[in-house]
Amino acid sequence: MKQAGSNRETFSLKSRLKRFKRDSNRWSVFTLAIVIFLALPIIFIGVELFSGPGETWSHIVKYLLPEYIWNSLYLVLFCSILVLVLGVSSAWFVSRFNFPMRKQLEWLLILPLAIPSYIVGYAYAGIFDYGGSLDLIFRQLNLDFIRIDIMNRAGLAFVLSISLFPYVYVSARAFFLNQANNLLEASKMLGVGERKTFFKLMLPLARPAIVAGLVLVLMEVLNDYGAAKYYGVNTFTTGIFRSWFSLEEPETAVYLSALLIIIIFALILFEKWQVRKIKFTSSKSNSTQIQRKTTTKSLKWLIFLVVFLPVLLGFILPVLQLIYWATLTASTVFDVQFLLISLQSFGIAITSAIITVFFALLLIFFSKWSALRFIKNVSRVGVLGYAIPGAVIAIGIMIPTLALDKWLINVLANFGIDSGFIINGTLIALFYAYAVRFLAVAYNPIDSTALKVDNSIPDSSKVLGVGNLKTFFKIEFPLIKTGVFSAVILVFIDVMKELPLTLILKPYHIDTLAVKAYEYASDEMVMEAAIPSLFIIFTAMIPVIFLNKLLIKK
Amino acid sequence: MLAIHSLSKSFDKGKNYALENVTFDLKEGDVCAIVGESGSGKTTLVRLIAGLERPDHGSIALDGNIIASLDKFVQPEKRKIGLVFQEYALFPHLTILENVLYGISKLKNKKIRAQEMLDLVGLSEMGKRYPHQLSGGQQQRVALARALAPEPTLLILDEPFSNLDAMLRMQLRNEIFDIIKKTGVTVLFVTHDTQDALSVADEILILQNGKVVQKDAAANLYVKPNTLYVASLFGNTIQINKNLQTAFRCPLKEDCCHAIRNEKIKVNPTAVDSDCEYITNATVIKKIVLGDSIQLLLKLETGEQLTVMTQDKNVADTITIGFNSKDILEFND
Repeated sequence: MKQAGSNRETFSLKSRLKRFKRDSNRWSVFTLAIVIFLALPIIFIGVELFSGPGETWSHIVKYLLPEYIWNSLYLVLFCSILVLVLGVSSAWFVSRFNFPMRKQLEWLLILPLAIPSYIVGYAYAGIFDYGGSLDLIFRQLNLDFIRIDIMNRAGLAFVLSISLFPYVYVSARAFFLNQANNLLEASKMLGVGERKTFFKLMLPLARPAIVAGLVLVLMEVLNDYGAAKYYGVNTFTTGIFRSWFSLEEPETAVYLSALLIIIIFALILFEKWQVRKIKFTSSKSNSTQIQRKTTTKSLKWLIFLVVFLPVLLGFILPVLQLIYWATLTASTVFDVQFLLISLQSFGIAITSAIITVFFALLLIFFSKWSALRFIKNVSRVGVLGYAIPGAVIAIGIMIPTLALDKWLINVLANFGIDSGFIINGTLIALFYAYAVRFLAVAYNPIDSTALKVDNSIPDSSKVLGVGNLKTFFKIEFPLIKTGVFSAVILVFIDVMKELPLTLILKPYHIDTLAVKAYEYASDEMVMEAAIPSLFIIFTAMIPVIFLNKLLIKK
Repeated sequence: MLAIHSLSKSFDKGKNYALENVTFDLKEGDVCAIVGESGSGKTTLVRLIAGLERPDHGSIALDGNIIASLDKFVQPEKRKIGLVFQEYALFPHLTILENVLYGISKLKNKKIRAQEMLDLVGLSEMGKRYPHQLSGGQQQRVALARALAPEPTLLILDEPFSNLDAMLRMQLRNEIFDIIKKTGVTVLFVTHDTQDALSVADEILILQNGKVVQKDAAANLYVKPNTLYVASLFGNTIQINKNLQTAFRCPLKEDCCHAIRNEKIKVNPTAVDSDCEYITNATVIKKIVLGDSIQLLLKLETGEQLTVMTQDKNVADTITIGFNSKDILEFND
């Protein structure tokens, strides 16, 4: 029949091309341009691979690479186990049971995220060291000090787990609170006990949420430089730093980065595979919240202890140690110089937060205004920077900007201008790197608030004769303000805490609190690192609490 | 004024069609209802006309100008089409007056025009309020005022009453269409409710699985439906299959499909309406009292079961039923 004929024609190459021509607009081009801009560091790593490995590469492959791989694998495995136990158990207890101080613990469990892992590392080194806090306590009690050496791989895994488990806690709790109630009630009605309900029903159902949190943890584990360096564990990131700074072999840093990227993409694929397997769980969120159970008195206190332990280890102990150090070093560390660094740190964080949020808004709305459907998927590529370790992004920016600057200097020299480096080693490169790394942090809260605004609202603006840009300023922006605001805050915290990327790309004369803490610690002055660390923690803490309020609202 | 030619849209690259080869015209001043079940492509059709989706095939012309085809696409903001959304889509952060002013900001006497529109929909005093302070029916009327303010050439209403309960729905439907008829604008009105369509539309277009099955004047659809599906949209209908033909002893043409509306089957036809040509005996299996009338589940001698309505409260256990040949509907599929 005629109809069938026209259908085949509809998706023939010729009409596809016609529609492509009709539907491609400037927004499609802009979206693509932004995605490429954000992906450039990774693209450069790929391109640089073709210029061959450095002189020491074969030596590294033979003597160091097995260690990097083995250590990374060890950290990934050890941290996975510990983080899952801590995160899932606390999330379940908090959502399912009533026990003393439950409400307080519910948000206290998020606070470890306010402390960068390298700072937790410094604090624990101080606790377990000779002459450290434990040693002092033992001596007060007239006991022999049994020293546990934690400056090794196992210690590092412990430190990373205890500071990163809240990622799993947050996503598991969100699932238990919002999605699980109907199923839980059904299980109860069928007469299934508490333990079986958890292991047979809740745990398998929560798996996608848990895996999503776990993958975030593992990305942070692979991103870590400060703690691994301090604990003397050779990982990919410390390897990248060594080849860049000590061996001065960018080619080797590039090869290590490429390997690390491959490992991370394997992780992402694992997550996608896990989430796809049980897609049906996230179908609908229930309006009814989970009913909490009240148990016997002794069990109550047992649950309290289990939930309190991660808070104690991940937040209270390290902060107490830092405060103790701070009282010892306040007089030497606190000076005008320190105030200046705090201000710089603050200024850099707020500027890059605004730049990053700006890029996120461009990406979200340009891809929306592009009439080509595949552009929306392409735009998600721009968000992948969150998975790439800071050190890798830094290398991916350092190499091309160095080359570009050398070229610019030559060109400008012809006009008699002595320009010096324009991009490399300036704040421009640093802001660019932060935008690449933290775009997802800004993108997600904005995108999720934008999704809550029904499409019919911007649509009716357009039908009433108002174009895309004006619709954005008059209708959409006022409606997504809270999402934009929380995006600025979240990026701000992440930049305040960021270390490896900042260490490689920061301008020579500029310091951040994170860099200062790191420098003190590397110069055997770990006590002095306490004050900048506490500054970072307290600036990060207020928004973490604020973020939790948002989570509870949801 | 609106001419749609062989319009197709697929959201999965041709595996399934949300809309397939849709062709129809609309005359100036017409009120046309688009009726279909959910998933029939109604909303896709209006979104294509409004410019919120782009066609994969075919064309849309408004007042003789192509506004969407394979080579051309006029942005929704340039089409001068008014659209009232199912969920009203009022701007929550703007007042009622600001909502109505939104589409006419370039007009010279915009304030006067906006107030006129609020007067028209009977909300003169509400201009300073915000959408959430209004009832559902009032929000609906604001949405209408906002869509009418820029004097659109075509007004589209997408399921405008589906969020309201039955009583309010009927009242508001009449109010809204009284307002619309005053303006004389051409209207496309999407609904899944045939009562809505029958009560206000001059013409009705039936969509099924993305295809137009019939477009006709409202009265014709009941009398001369094109398919069994269309017939059953306007009242319960039974197909007269081979077994029923045997039971009623009414041989019908082989290559056609025939049906009868349940309400046209008479119970115990008397001499007065003995024009029933086809009659058979039936046993009552079940009586369901529905207020005034009674629903009977019957079993025929051939074993067929069917349902009929009657007013007779004292109906016996064995009855005769019959119908007239002029009430038989004939389809070609």
